Amino acid sequence: MNTAMDDGQPESPGEQTLSFPPVRDDDDTFDAFTPAGDTRKSPQPHTPKQRAPEPRPSEPRASEEPRAAEEPRAFGEPRAFGESGAAEEPRVSEASGAPGDGRAPEEAREPLPKRSGTRPGRVARDNPGEPADHLDFFTPRTPVTPPTSRPEPKAPAPTGPAPAATPAAVPAPTDAPAPADAPLSTDAPGPAVVAAPTATGGPSLFTKPASPSAPLTDEPPADPEPPADPEPPADQEQPPAFGDETPSDTEQPATAATDAGETEPELTSDAPAADPSPADPSPADPPTDEPEPRAEAGDPDETPQEKPASATPADESTPDGESTLDEDPPPADTDTDTGAETNTDTETGTGAASPQDGGDPPRAEALPPELVEALTTALDQLRESVADVRLGLDLPGVKEARQARLDLLAQLDDYVLPRVRTSTAPALIVVAGSTGAGKSTLVNSLAERNVSRTGIRRPTTGTPVLVCHPDDREWFAEGELLGTLQRLDQPTPGPIVPTGAGAGAGIGAGIGAGAGTGGPGTGMNGLVLVSTEKLPQGVALLDTPDIDSVVEEHHEIAHRMLDAADLWIFVTTAARYADAPAWSLLKLAKERGARLAIVLSRVQRKSVDVVLKHFVRMLTEYGMGEIDRFVIHESTVTDGRLPDSEVTDLRLWLAELSVDEERRAQAVRETLNGVLNSFRIRVPALAKHLEAQVAFRAELRKDVEAAFFGALSDIDKAAKSGSLLHGEVLARWQEFAGSGDLMRSLQLRRRGRSARQAPERVIAFKAAIRAGLESVIVAAANRATEEVVARWRHRAELGGKLGERLDRPSDDFVRNAGRAIASWQDHLSELVRTEGVAKRSVSKVVSFDPDSLSLIFTVAMFSGANGEGVPHRLVNALLGAESLRGIGAKALSDLRARISMLFDEEAMRYVQALDSAGVPDESVATRLYQAAYNLEVAR
Amino acid sequence: MTTTTTTPRPGLASRLTALTKVVELGQGRLDQKLLDDATALLQRAGERLKLSPDHTVVALAGGTGSGKSSLFNAISGLELSPTGVRRPTTGRTHACVWGLEGSAPLLDWLRVQSRHRFSRVSALDKGDTQLNGLILLDLPDHDSIRALADTEADRLIGQADLVVWVLDPQKYADASTHRRYVTELAGHDAVTVFALNQADKLATEELAELLIDLNDLLRREGVEHPSVVPTSPVTGRGIESLKSVIATAVARRRAAIQKLEADLHRLEQRIAEVMPLGEALSAPSAVDEARRMGLTDALCDAVGVPAVGDALENVYAERSARWVGWPYPRWAGRFRADPLKSLRLDDVRQEIRGITTGSVSAQSAEVANAVHALADGLSMSMHPVWRTAVHRAARSKAKQLPKALTEDLAEVAPRLDRVPGWWWALKVWQYVLVAMFLAGVVWLAAGLLVPGSLPPSLELLGDSATLPWVGLMMASVLGLGALSGIASRNFVELGASRERERLEREMRRRVAAVSATMVVEPVERELTRHHAFYTALRDLSS
Repeated sequence: MNTAMDDGQPESPGEQTLSFPPVRDDDDTFDAFTPAGDTRKSPQPHTPKQRAPEPRPSEPRASEEPRAAEEPRAFGEPRAFGESGAAEEPRVSEASGAPGDGRAPEEAREPLPKRSGTRPGRVARDNPGEPADHLDFFTPRTPVTPPTSRPEPKAPAPTGPAPAATPAAVPAPTDAPAPADAPLSTDAPGPAVVAAPTATGGPSLFTKPASPSAPLTDEPPADPEPPADPEPPADQEQPPAFGDETPSDTEQPATAATDAGETEPELTSDAPAADPSPADPSPADPPTDEPEPRAEAGDPDETPQEKPASATPADESTPDGESTLDEDPPPADTDTDTGAETNTDTETGTGAASPQDGGDPPRAEALPPELVEALTTALDQLRESVADVRLGLDLPGVKEARQARLDLLAQLDDYVLPRVRTSTAPALIVVAGSTGAGKSTLVNSLAERNVSRTGIRRPTTGTPVLVCHPDDREWFAEGELLGTLQRLDQPTPGPIVPTGAGAGAGIGAGIGAGAGTGGPGTGMNGLVLVSTEKLPQGVALLDTPDIDSVVEEHHEIAHRMLDAADLWIFVTTAARYADAPAWSLLKLAKERGARLAIVLSRVQRKSVDVVLKHFVRMLTEYGMGEIDRFVIHESTVTDGRLPDSEVTDLRLWLAELSVDEERRAQAVRETLNGVLNSFRIRVPALAKHLEAQVAFRAELRKDVEAAFFGALSDIDKAAKSGSLLHGEVLARWQEFAGSGDLMRSLQLRRRGRSARQAPERVIAFKAAIRAGLESVIVAAANRATEEVVARWRHRAELGGKLGERLDRPSDDFVRNAGRAIASWQDHLSELVRTEGVAKRSVSKVVSFDPDSLSLIFTVAMFSGANGEGVPHRLVNALLGAESLRGIGAKALSDLRARISMLFDEEAMRYVQALDSAGVPDESVATRLYQAAYNLEVAR
Repeated sequence: MTTTTTTPRPGLASRLTALTKVVELGQGRLDQKLLDDATALLQRAGERLKLSPDHTVVALAGGTGSGKSSLFNAISGLELSPTGVRRPTTGRTHACVWGLEGSAPLLDWLRVQSRHRFSRVSALDKGDTQLNGLILLDLPDHDSIRALADTEADRLIGQADLVVWVLDPQKYADASTHRRYVTELAGHDAVTVFALNQADKLATEELAELLIDLNDLLRREGVEHPSVVPTSPVTGRGIESLKSVIATAVARRRAAIQKLEADLHRLEQRIAEVMPLGEALSAPSAVDEARRMGLTDALCDAVGVPAVGDALENVYAERSARWVGWPYPRWAGRFRADPLKSLRLDDVRQEIRGITTGSVSAQSAEVANAVHALADGLSMSMHPVWRTAVHRAARSKAKQLPKALTEDLAEVAPRLDRVPGWWWALKVWQYVLVAMFLAGVVWLAAGLLVPGSLPPSLELLGDSATLPWVGLMMASVLGLGALSGIASRNFVELGASRERERLEREMRRRVAAVSATMVVEPVERELTRHHAFYTALRDLSS
């Protein structure tokens, strides 16, 4: 018997399903169904499982704030992140702080060497805001100048070196240097103080430094002061910088500084030439600091500062960024830890690279091997973790999360990993922007060849086109960068049909090829590779599809290209510069810390002033006032190209990049760092979403468990309260008792009379009990299934969808329940037969029919009366209290086990439905955090 | 170009009524967003139809820099709306009215600021008489960063009777225009015009190519018969044709209605996506007789009516033996050993007898299952939302139902320990027979044992000749007792089965009555609502 019971017991089916543990055998009471105690106990086993998941969520949350936790456990510690996060903002803060310190500009210079660079950068940024008034903006040269300006402090000594350092720039026609210098020169004329500010502006270079227009000149004097101040404080401030966010206020002063710069009115290409000479002096200064590098990146400036301090002139020759890095190296391991200083330096993103770079002070073009190795390992780990992420549940936001995951993967494969391995590769400049903005036309013009199709149809370009110098071709053709894209000779759609937008040539052809323009998917996996000698070495242009046309695939391709870009050229037009998609892209660039240049094309000459002014103001409002800008006027497009004069500035800018390896390398590294920095947010965000899925799944499962657990306790309650003894069961019991069958089942022991056919009424009574129990179970199951579905629907739309076909018990549930009860009844009468032998005194005189007795027994169990009533007394008298208890407990636990099994089977259906939607692996989330942390460590 | 023929549809008014009904009946059944949109449409329709039917509101919509304001000025012939190169230029809606009379409430409704309202008196320029009744709106753009926080363009695109989408060669394929608006335009052909502005920037051939491309694009987006007008405020090209397109619409005075019809159509499609009409109307709208019977049967089972009947028969039969049966075997049974006595449970016997005094009661789980089955069967083919609603309605009184059934049936439930009067009579008869038998015994004894000692008055007793007769009498008394025992038992059974029939009929009747008020009624309310909802939906779409 015992064995039988065991079998019947629990075996709760499912490993995963909720098991309803059978009631323990406590049994003092015959009424066995001591629901209260038992039920409570049974649930407990589950709860642990449920709770387990909870703790995790909490961890993740903690980690969220910090973004990428520094230490695995550290997730909770905000500090680490704070540092890293601070790094981004420090610039501003420094700038703000600077004013207060207000030292004389000259004084400032001395201190500056260390930090002056950093501040200037910030200042410069600030400046952009005001420049709006001026129209100079877009002269690219400005970037160059800024670096020089920074250097100024150090400049005195370095002047000599500057030229040397600049060599790269030199090749680039005078223009390049000129522009940069120009601003400085102009500043120089002004009060010494003024010069200082400009210098500060210089570092930011790309910003509008050049812009300084005359109108503002008045202000310059005032401005200079603030800038000067910032510098000195900078040194001291470094620590505080993180915290400070005053930037906004400070910015304005900064802008004023830029205004000073404005004195040099439009620095347009023409201007540069003149400027160069004056500029030289200023540049000279920068060189000491490694001016050029700074020029490239506003951020680098910071590093330069450090260099000056520690690295000193010797390093000067080397690229700024690297030299600075040298200093950093010691703290390298803990970039964030190193302190405010390092962080500030790293702001640009070089931080990570910098420490390692330090190792290669002399020619830090490539990352040091150890770093590469560490980074590669960390990135591989990250990639693996990201690849393992499965987001199966269609929760709100999952689409974005899935896209984010794909983006991450693609970016790791296409860009980050290749870039880390070969950091010296040519820079990939991605030209992106709205449809019809003239991206292809611009690329064609720069390549002096119709490499990318242009036209009036929107959208025009569907397949990205990469243009590079023949010497770089091999690298792009076989390199890993964008390695997952198939290299093509031509866009898949068809031949390149240069359609002069303005000239109207080749329209017919364009129409014919029209099908190719937007064919969805055409460009998804291809990349057209074209080489031309018209492009300088070391830089490659990538013409991308649009970001805002009706063809959504294009947006995807464009974003993928941008993810792989070292520098972005964002093209917009006079008609579009206020479009929302354009600004969301700019925002993205800013978030990613990508190096960016903006081209405003199709500007009518007569409205150039107004439009530029307005555009620059908007840029400044969005904190991007310092970005390099180029203006292309609305002009006739011939054969898919712009007049050469329109792209001269851009060509120069490219040439500078090409010639100045250091600057290029820095730009590349900066963007890479920006991307790596972005992982701090993106990876945890992904992990968070994964955790949300895990948590959601756990909740749904909990709903199932709770519902069926509730059903089980409903049954317990019904059993205990005696509500089972109603309806047919009651009537049959009355019949059984009233018709004398009850008495007849007890017989005085007499030979030969034991085996008797069960009368019809006994069979009917048994069936009634079975039906009653069955209906209780079915009703509970109905309620439970409805409750699960309702809860799921309430939780989320997805829950409703998952539970769509599950709002009732499975079709054969009723049958199964009936079978389970029937076999339980058999089991019970078997128990009574075998274990009920007790009470010898009784058995001597009285024999009883086990079937009938088991029915009486059942009634006693479910009557709800506590040991009272006829059935109780009868069975008690017949079997004896002890064996009665034993049988009662066993019967009860057996019944529970059978019902649990039935419910487990039902619950399984829900679990399966959940599983079919994808099983998120919670360990992956932890691995993601770990990988993000490891990456930080590796940096 | 606007020669879009609209097939005459059943009156707008009746469709709006149908929509009102759909909204009313769909509360809690349809997605709230959909209901809100429908309510908004109803409100808009009500307001627009109340306002000047003589005016047609034409809105120029488009992205920033497409030249809406330039076109606005070109059509009105005045520099009313400032144009510029800064983007975005227009931040507030401008309106120009041809034929001012009665337009003010309409403009108020459109929420156009009065300082941005202008009027053209058509009498002054002959050329524009055809435009009399036109309210031309120059909307702000919908795609600039400014528009992210400003829904004015959105609102007016919805409110205008006719929308002219101003596109330009640079932006005509922007997702912001197409994804947000054009794909929603299915069925709006009659009240939508596309103006390809800045046509002067293109050469003739290019323009031709572009027009083809644009037409393709629009068709792909679901605009069946796009009407595209190339325009150029700079050269004046196309302005006249655009005007004439507008003039046609204005002259027909139908645009407002057509727009509402198109919006209705669109909304109706959205509802149909969520709750397709399908076979919904064939779902039962009432609980038919078979289902009622089924429910009653199931509830009777839950109460145990058949079992009560069985008990009645069996228990009566058993008990009647004690009353109307032949007493001798009963007495004989007394001498058998009683198992209860040997268990010392003598008093249990009395209790067992007490069991039979119990009354009828309903088992709540079975009641719940019966109700569930009914709802299931009725709502099988329904939309899940309605299915849930039917279930909820069926269960609305599930808690009280078992109790109500129990109480109601208790009134008719038989007492199984009842003793009918004729049982007494028969019992007496049996005892009389027993007495006669005993008398016979005495007689016999007297005759055989003391034949001569009897007083003379009793001599007859001693007469041996009577003895055989006495024996015969005793035998027949015994036989009569046995026979009448058997016969009366048959009578008892007959009576019991007749009572059972009566009882079951009565119980069923009561069960049916209770279930009708507590289950069927609420369910039918829901079914009626379901039916009415889908009827309204059908009316809306027909």
